[in-house]
Amino acid sequence: MAVHAEQLEHHGPPPPHYSSRISPPVLGMFLFIGSEIMLFGAFFTAYFFVRVAAGTPWPTPPFQLPVYVAFVNTAILVTSSATVHWALQSIKRGNVWGLRAGLLLTFLMGLTFLISQVAEYLRIGFNTSDGAFPTIFFCLTGLHGAHVFVGLSILLFMTIRAYRGHFSAEHHHGVEIAGIYWHFVDVMWIVVYTTVYIL
Amino acid sequence: MRHNPLSSEAEAFRFLGVVILGAIVIVAAAYLNTWLGVAAAVVVIAAVVRWVRG
Repeated sequence: MAVHAEQLEHHGPPPPHYSSRISPPVLGMFLFIGSEIMLFGAFFTAYFFVRVAAGTPWPTPPFQLPVYVAFVNTAILVTSSATVHWALQSIKRGNVWGLRAGLLLTFLMGLTFLISQVAEYLRIGFNTSDGAFPTIFFCLTGLHGAHVFVGLSILLFMTIRAYRGHFSAEHHHGVEIAGIYWHFVDVMWIVVYTTVYIL
Repeated sequence: MRHNPLSSEAEAFRFLGVVILGAIVIVAAAYLNTWLGVAAAVVVIAAVVRWVRG
């Protein structure tokens, strides 16, 4: 009986069939981000309850929010989204050095954002024990900071893999998925910045 | 047809651009008056939801 060579080479169960036009890894990241939006939604519910339903002045006197430092941080994070997009576009064209430079710049800007946020926490002048306003402020910005940390960990792995030559014009799924997560972190920061610092 | 803003990295980057534009509108309105900013946020969110739904 004739057996095809590819059947001999294949080990394990057959690849699953899927009807979605989105690849399973991207769909997985999409569902993960959906759960993350629900998590942020719970924190935003607490924020709106404290601010609107309970009528707490925002920011509660005598506290002040570092609006301008946060604006600079916002600019850094938005720029980092552009660099991760540049990294992906580079590797799609087969430009490995563009990928490496883009990922490294993104990582460094994300790190700058996180360090700047920690420095701001240290000199902000209030703490979670000072009332509902500081509690919600630290919860929302801290939750986002934790996501930046996760994003930085993913970017670090992707950067190391890029320098080891793991990605090519044909195979760069890891970079694409990391990029989606990083854009999500950036979008969430814009929402946090607009609602907590500006409105 | 429903538009998935996170189906690829390029789509997610485009969604980020839409959110930045929306945030600029909200921040500009909030600069004039806090409640005008809230009203702008409601309008912008409705517009983004409409865009996502296609």
